[in-house]
Amino acid sequence: MNCVEFRRQLLLDPQVDDAQFRQHASDCMRCAEAQQRALGFESALRSALAVPVPAQLAEAILLRQTTEQQRGRQRLRRGGALLALAAGVVLAFGVGLRLQAQPLPELVVAHLQREAFVLTQTQPIAEEQVRKAFANLGVRVGELPADISFVACCPVGRYSSVHLLMPQSNGPVTVLYLTDDQHEARSDFIRDGWLGRSVPFAHGTLVLLAHDAGQFDQIEAQWRTALQSAT
Amino acid sequence: MSDVSGRQRQFEALVRSLSGDLFRYGYWLCGDEALAHDLVQETFLRAWRALDHLRDTGAAKAWLITILRREHARLYERKMPQFADVDEVDVVDERDAHMPEFAGEENVIRNAIRQLDPKYREPLLLQVLGGFSCEEIARELAITPAAVMTQVFRARQKLKAMLGGEEVREAKIHELR
Repeated sequence: MNCVEFRRQLLLDPQVDDAQFRQHASDCMRCAEAQQRALGFESALRSALAVPVPAQLAEAILLRQTTEQQRGRQRLRRGGALLALAAGVVLAFGVGLRLQAQPLPELVVAHLQREAFVLTQTQPIAEEQVRKAFANLGVRVGELPADISFVACCPVGRYSSVHLLMPQSNGPVTVLYLTDDQHEARSDFIRDGWLGRSVPFAHGTLVLLAHDAGQFDQIEAQWRTALQSAT
Repeated sequence: MSDVSGRQRQFEALVRSLSGDLFRYGYWLCGDEALAHDLVQETFLRAWRALDHLRDTGAAKAWLITILRREHARLYERKMPQFADVDEVDVVDERDAHMPEFAGEENVIRNAIRQLDPKYREPLLLQVLGGFSCEEIARELAITPAAVMTQVFRARQKLKAMLGGEEVREAKIHELR
């Protein structure tokens, strides 16, 4: 290997581990210096390419995979029964099925599962961010609950919503405030393994979702305080 | 250990060992952190559904990168690309590289990488981030090993030209012909 071949190799792959390459580096001081510079550049390049990986990335992926797996099983279980039900309806009425608007529990759980990565957020966010999200939807809030780790304005079906997460000792509680939705009565529900509660307000509906409903009463009370001045 | 739990453990091991590398690769493909996050999630979900097709766990990284590149191509069809071609880069980018917030060496290099044409950037990513050989990169990109060699050579040459320094002269002298 001569100097020209050596320098070309430095631009092709300076990490190459080849006997002729090593031999030339030990025989030629100038090429050895060039190799050191190339390896320095390579190290800087590697550092620059190693952009920070989001915290909890692996957990978010595993959570989404588990959620999808559960949904798949439930779909399979429900499949036969739904088919029979659909056939029965068609036979009984002799008309095609009309798609009804998705019920609230289905809408909110589907949204939560689409944004499963939110469930891994644990660091508290600034109160100002939460106020801003509500303000974006024209909702004024009073004293806010502490320990909110995520907020975003999200479309949920035909509703606009503020999507929040509140980490608790027994697992995170997802809070969705759907504006311009007024469900008639407060109710608890179970959907796809999630426990839920919907609470009607004057100008919207508050929905709580978690695997453990132990903190629902307390969180509902906190949001009643915060949203009592909602306009 | 049942097949189900074995499959789950294999998947978890893949996620924990390779999600970081895949995120970085995805980031440099699409240029957006949130999109890269989505890309990696979609990639692993597809990998989970097709995990039985993975015969050689040593080839898992290449397999996942293939899935990620396909996902990115689908994304590319739906959204505008985030990176501009090097010919379209405005002089403002050069100035930005010298502003205080971009003053760190890593950020200067990152700006230069962003300005690389994707045809040069991607083989370089596969070599430096993926640790793949020219032959493996050639298979992944469906080009010849000689074309890979030319592209990684030019990628380094262009980066050094953008970044200045003593190696620029060397890069020009030893240009591939």
